[in-house]
Amino acid sequence: CRLAGFHGNERRGRWGPVGPRPPLAAMFADRTVPGAEVASLWRSSRSALCQPKSCQTGKISTTEAAVQLHTSQDASVQTDQSKDAVQDFQQEVQVDYTSLLSFLQRVEDAVIKELNKNWKSHAFDGFEVNWVDQNETVLCLHTLSYPEAQGQNLQVTSLSWNATGSVVACSYGRLDGEDRSTEKSYICTWNLDRRGLNPQRPDLVVDVPSSVMCVAFHPSQPALIAGGLFSGELVVWDTSRTEDPVVWRTGMTGDTHTDPVYQVDWLPDAKRRNHHRLLSVSTDGKILVWREERDGRLALAEGFAVVAQQVPHRTQLKKLAWGEVAVGVTSLSFSHFDPRVFVVGVEGGYPLKCSTAAETPALHRTGSSVSLRAPVELAFSPHGGPVYSVSCSPFHRQVLNLFLSCGTDGQVHLHSLLQTQPLLSLQLSQKYLFCVRWSPVRPLVFAAASGEGNECSCLTGDVHLFDFERSSQKPALSIKQAGGDHPVYCLEFNTKQTQLLAAGDAAGTVRVWQLSSDFTEQGPREMNQLEQLASEITD
Amino acid sequence: AEVEETLKRIQAHKGVIATMVVNAEGIPIRTTLDNSTTVQYAGLLHQLTMKARSTVRDIDPQNDLTFLRIRSKKHEIMIAPDKEYLLIVVQNPCE
Repeated sequence: CRLAGFHGNERRGRWGPVGPRPPLAAMFADRTVPGAEVASLWRSSRSALCQPKSCQTGKISTTEAAVQLHTSQDASVQTDQSKDAVQDFQQEVQVDYTSLLSFLQRVEDAVIKELNKNWKSHAFDGFEVNWVDQNETVLCLHTLSYPEAQGQNLQVTSLSWNATGSVVACSYGRLDGEDRSTEKSYICTWNLDRRGLNPQRPDLVVDVPSSVMCVAFHPSQPALIAGGLFSGELVVWDTSRTEDPVVWRTGMTGDTHTDPVYQVDWLPDAKRRNHHRLLSVSTDGKILVWREERDGRLALAEGFAVVAQQVPHRTQLKKLAWGEVAVGVTSLSFSHFDPRVFVVGVEGGYPLKCSTAAETPALHRTGSSVSLRAPVELAFSPHGGPVYSVSCSPFHRQVLNLFLSCGTDGQVHLHSLLQTQPLLSLQLSQKYLFCVRWSPVRPLVFAAASGEGNECSCLTGDVHLFDFERSSQKPALSIKQAGGDHPVYCLEFNTKQTQLLAAGDAAGTVRVWQLSSDFTEQGPREMNQLEQLASEITD
Repeated sequence: AEVEETLKRIQAHKGVIATMVVNAEGIPIRTTLDNSTTVQYAGLLHQLTMKARSTVRDIDPQNDLTFLRIRSKKHEIMIAPDKEYLLIVVQNPCE
């Protein structure tokens, strides 16, 4: 017999009886059987079948007490403002000219009327508002010194305030002209805004192997400070570094100054914004501009040499000089109006007007890697002795380009950059004047530091504050250095905290004075008074 | 062109230091100063003008701001407000 459906589900056309039906056909019928289930043995599904019966821990009650979130306020931003940030807005904004025109036509008359009324009005004459408590007196806030330097009889040769106005740095050295190139000296900084300021302990002391003659803080980076040494070198220190703070130095190369560097300054770089280059001035007659190389060296970028033969006519310097005599430059100040024009003071007693745009090469004997140019354009009438300090007025206007010069004849000359004769000649004292500075806030105020040289027996030093508004003949205030009379060699106004004036003297102390309000608040018409003063005198 | 003429006339007036036009959002449209100073003036004075206007209207809802003058030690700032624009003129009134 044949077995039908051997493989199951085999279909045939008809199910006809084919021979005797096999009794096992029912075994291969289609049927669905429910799948077999096996209960999961995993714990989680088992626990899903569980029910909480009771709990052993007591119920914990909670309430909200406080939240840790606090309100915040913007205090300051760390990013620097870059000058390129502001785009040219005129291209971005869509302006509807017709509506703009109709607006302007509507308001023009009203505005012109108000402008006219304002011009003629005397309503506010003599009206002044006191926003700040008036400070009546001049106080000595701090007397800072470094005892170790004082023990070595070192003098304060130069001062500088940093970019934020809270740190004052001073350089210790000696200004008496003897060879101090190997005598150790210091640069000390004090942070006046710190609590727990100890006037006898500077926050930072940098040991320098040679006498430091001048220091200058970087105008925007608060930790960089540059110093000029007796040996003619320049060094830049970074006060934020804990180990060796020296960042750059010129070293002793063929380009370095051969005489002490008397003034060092940071110049804004014309080519790269927000970048500054170092400028140094020395009695070897050279004014050098340095750029920073990557290996920590300062390389000469450009330079000027002041040579007696190239100083314009009518000066005594030529008569005394044979050959190419360098003119010893003691100080320098840039004009705030024209960044290419600067004034230098020389040992011969002449303030000289110079320009960085000068092209003529200097007749300088010693070779240097960059050719030096002769910058002098005009020689002003001289002082009776070497000029130790010049200062250009920071309040500039188109015509007004005033600067001050002071020298060992005890006189301060007020010059305009346009003429050789001084506008005003003030005999401040019989003593040598070592430093003169314009006030950064009041156009009519300047300060001068005086003190006798070593020859005379009396050595009192004063800081004189002059105010042209009060008197053009004598100082408004002479601050005697209390306790010990020593010549004051340097002084600097604090441009950020404008009531502070620091003065350093030969005893190695730096005194920080707080000026009274009348020296720090600008009156409403001061600029005009200054212009008037200048024009009165020229007439 | 007429816009420039009008602004030139105002700028040429005695003692005027700066002139600028600012739109309703505080964005400067015309100015005689440099970019960064203008943006500073525009932002600050726009806010001040809005505050001044709301002050006037809060005190008396029928009133509205017509002119704003700020006198300082060094100069006077005059602001002529409008729905869409603000004209700011800075004058030094010293003779």
